[in-house]
Amino acid sequence: MSKELIRLRDVCMAFDDELVLDHINLYFNDKEFLTLLGPSGCGKTTTLRIIGGFMTPTAGDVLFDGARINDVPPHQRQINTVFQKYALFPHLDVYENIAFGLRMQRRPDPKDPTGKRMVKLPEEEIDQRVMEMLEVVSLKGFERRKPDALSGGQQQRVAIARALVNKPKVLLLDEPLAALDLKLRKDMQIELKRIQQQVGITFIYVTHDQEEALTMSDTIVVMDKGSIQQIGTPEDIYNEPKNAFVADFIGESNIIDGVMVEDNLVKMYGKKFPCLDGGFAPNEPVDVVIRPEDIDIVPVEQGQITGTVTSVTFKGMQYDIIVDFKGFKWLIQTTDYSPEGARIGIKIDPDGIHIMKKSKYSGMFGDYSSFSEEYDELDDASLLDDEEESEDEE
Amino acid sequence: MKKKNSAFNRTFTALVFLFLYAPILLLIVFSFNAGESNVVWSGFSLHWYRELFSDRLIMRSVYTTLLVSVIATIISTFAGTFAAIGFYSLRRRQRNTLNTINNIPMMNADIVTGVAMCLFFVAFFGLWSEFAVWVNSIQTVFQLPERLTLGFGTLLIAHIAFNIPYVILSVSPKLRQMDKNLVDAAMDLGCTWMQAFWKVILPEIKPGIVSGALTAFTMSVDDFIISYFTAGSSSSTLAMTIYGMTKKRVTPEINAISTLLFVTVLLLLVITNIREARQEQLAERRRKLPTATAAEAARYSRKHTFDGPIPKIAGGLAATALIAAAVLVAGRNAGKPVVNVCSWGEYIDESLIEQFEQETGITVNYQTAESNEALYSLLKSGAGDYDVVVPSDYMISQLIEEDMLEELDYSNIPNFSLIDERFKNLPYDPENKYTVPYTWGTVGIIYNAAVVEDPITSWNVMFNDDYAGNVLMFRNSRDAMATALLYLGYSINTTDEAQLREAQQLLVNAKRRGVYQAFVMDEIFGKMEGGNAVIGSYYAGDYLSMADNQADGVDLAFTVPEEGSNWFVDAMCVLKDAPHKEEAEAWINFIASTEANLANMDYIWYASPNREALEQYPAYYEELYEEPLDPEVYEIMAASQETLDRCEMYVVLPYETRALYNKLWTELGI
Repeated sequence: MSKELIRLRDVCMAFDDELVLDHINLYFNDKEFLTLLGPSGCGKTTTLRIIGGFMTPTAGDVLFDGARINDVPPHQRQINTVFQKYALFPHLDVYENIAFGLRMQRRPDPKDPTGKRMVKLPEEEIDQRVMEMLEVVSLKGFERRKPDALSGGQQQRVAIARALVNKPKVLLLDEPLAALDLKLRKDMQIELKRIQQQVGITFIYVTHDQEEALTMSDTIVVMDKGSIQQIGTPEDIYNEPKNAFVADFIGESNIIDGVMVEDNLVKMYGKKFPCLDGGFAPNEPVDVVIRPEDIDIVPVEQGQITGTVTSVTFKGMQYDIIVDFKGFKWLIQTTDYSPEGARIGIKIDPDGIHIMKKSKYSGMFGDYSSFSEEYDELDDASLLDDEEESEDEE
Repeated sequence: MKKKNSAFNRTFTALVFLFLYAPILLLIVFSFNAGESNVVWSGFSLHWYRELFSDRLIMRSVYTTLLVSVIATIISTFAGTFAAIGFYSLRRRQRNTLNTINNIPMMNADIVTGVAMCLFFVAFFGLWSEFAVWVNSIQTVFQLPERLTLGFGTLLIAHIAFNIPYVILSVSPKLRQMDKNLVDAAMDLGCTWMQAFWKVILPEIKPGIVSGALTAFTMSVDDFIISYFTAGSSSSTLAMTIYGMTKKRVTPEINAISTLLFVTVLLLLVITNIREARQEQLAERRRKLPTATAAEAARYSRKHTFDGPIPKIAGGLAATALIAAAVLVAGRNAGKPVVNVCSWGEYIDESLIEQFEQETGITVNYQTAESNEALYSLLKSGAGDYDVVVPSDYMISQLIEEDMLEELDYSNIPNFSLIDERFKNLPYDPENKYTVPYTWGTVGIIYNAAVVEDPITSWNVMFNDDYAGNVLMFRNSRDAMATALLYLGYSINTTDEAQLREAQQLLVNAKRRGVYQAFVMDEIFGKMEGGNAVIGSYYAGDYLSMADNQADGVDLAFTVPEEGSNWFVDAMCVLKDAPHKEEAEAWINFIASTEANLANMDYIWYASPNREALEQYPAYYEELYEEPLDPEVYEIMAASQETLDRCEMYVVLPYETRALYNKLWTELGI
């Protein structure tokens, strides 16, 4: 990673007394793929709009290359945006949509010695750059189509081309894949990453889909309720979540109350488990995160603790098994089948245990009592709708 | 059974449509009638359309209508579009509230809107006047006009005001359908807000703007009520002129103009609907399109592109021309001398207006009112800001009584000397300080001599059963009561309650026995001309016009009954504080001239008060039509002094008597 490009310093945003961004401090490096990840209403889109210049923060500074740009309007920022649902201009064809930004551009007339007279870009240059872009997004031959004669994926590519043709230093993407179906979404994730590497600029990507974030990002910023919860690489975020919210939001986690007996030793269910974390006060209450895939099922007599299987779901690569340990339900992902009602023991390696300090999120996540596949799906869909609602109200 | 039912359904539907469209069809058919009647078809002709296009009053009001509609459409489209954008950018709750408020004026009764606007303007003018007087008194650099009046300006403001909600209503949905990120996207790509508006918002909401503008234009052309209350005396829209013309009779000329108006509005509606249908179709096909092949898509988008250079240039030219015309016209009349005249429909030879304007350079704004009572309420409300009015005798007394008339400077009206002494110093203006007579005439009985065997000589035919079911009675209290009072041998100006009650009882009984076919005003023309009624009482001048148009087999005659009758004078007066008194007196002098009186006499068939004109008319007639004027006809037109001696003129009744008239009339239950 290279030099810092954008910095948000103590940025706050309030709508009618409601604080939606609470002292955000964040920087973005050049050529980085950074994702703002969080549930609806977490402030990620607001953050993006502040960077784009569509909103002015209530307090704090936005710095671009070290200069304060709070009051610089969007059209004067070297930043372009790919909007939710693309916002293509319906009355213009693909070519004109992409050329739109170029036609708006003015630059000093090379023939004018004073350099004060501004002229439009020559038509040949516009044509050449639009054609280049069509190539980058693999849409050659679609120049004269109107946006509503394109598929969702094609519209997506036009939106990206329209933004990139202006050679911005930063591209903002606001849930650009949310409207696509699963298969197309997966393809576009790879495609986006490829485009980012090809053009070599900073992408700031907003999503509520943790998988998308993990797949594409160099850096992930997890947000909730207007605050940053954690910043890190996908691996950091996944393996070392800072609190119960992050642990739950990124992947699946069993989060159990524990007490740190001493460094490298945590107590759960009255039993001591060796672990690799330290630096806590003696007997400090902590949240213990155990990823479902880090748990081994063993015969009862060999188990560190024992429980009863309450449900089994076949997932193709593995089984999702819900196990009841003294009233607290765990999710275990395993390739070994255990029938419903069976008593099993489990074993966790020290590197499968991650210790977190207690936070305001403690006790809110990590129990799989109400776990079901459909429930999860529904939850995702409603997340999307909520986001739209709240946008509209802004 | 089922078949029977569907036949019934079809018949029923046909009847409903017949009911809806028969009147309009009739109107359209008779606009092509060669004759003057609305009842008797005498062959196809475009005569009335030719007449129409050479009618100055109508053409001027067409012009006013188009001008006000075009300017109001342009301005309200601008204002409404930006208002809709403003609404759109608000939070949902505020937006909904505003939308509801926006809908209220459209639901509101026009009459309420019209009256409210009229009151508002008049109140504003009052405040303005005080303000202007104050400003003019404290400085001398510039002079503010102290007297503002209703006119084209207020008409335009009213039209803009009632059009804006329609524009908002049709633009708002287009904005809501628009992706709300489009503006952000445009600004992101280098647009300022204004550029984003022109390049992105406008093309997106254009269909809404165009249908909003079309609706606004239709509403403007169509409007009568609001215009009526806000146009003042100097402007008259087409609808107002038509209304004024119907005072006398519905001539085929009105049919012709109404036909044109109907067709115009119909066309606008059709265009609007086709546009909307086409857009829906377009949207529907586009929704289906992603599954279509690329070739199809390309073909489709080419076919449905309206953005070719030619329509663009044409549209631009048209818009420029319209705006230029509007500006030109708005500026044209400013600063010229004018006179605002309010008279009755079909009550002047219009070539006189043109002649006067050419001779003096004074522009005449010629308006018409429906009746003396309507004129009175216009004046009272402050809406009728005229210089010259032509009320009838009894109304003149009332206006003098209420100090609403200005004394005339007769040195500016030398032609007053030509007025026959018989028509000077009449009871309504005993010292002749306020008036110059315009016309005079008698009321009598018109009857179809082809049906009535013995000549009628008495008012009794209006009350006995001889022609029960075929008699037409006045539909206004003063004239109807006068008929009964005359028959009973009382004065038409009686204030005796017993006499009035007796007269009313006479009417009540006759009505109960079915003597009257109808109580009418100008409907009498059609009924008598077509032979659909046998007897009716009306004005002598109108009888001549009916006799001229009578159908085959109808032989109309006129008599002033032996019991006597009502005779009347309509006279020109200038209203108190009239802004153009000098021009008004010039106009009165011109109309009082012998030439003007001859022309008017020939055109409206009412007798002139001008001594020379009365003497010269038979010769004038003979020269014009190359046949002698029937002395009997002339006696009807300009009654002899013996006849006049049998007649009585209305005087204004005391307040209590007027109230009693209202009460008795209501009891009669017309």
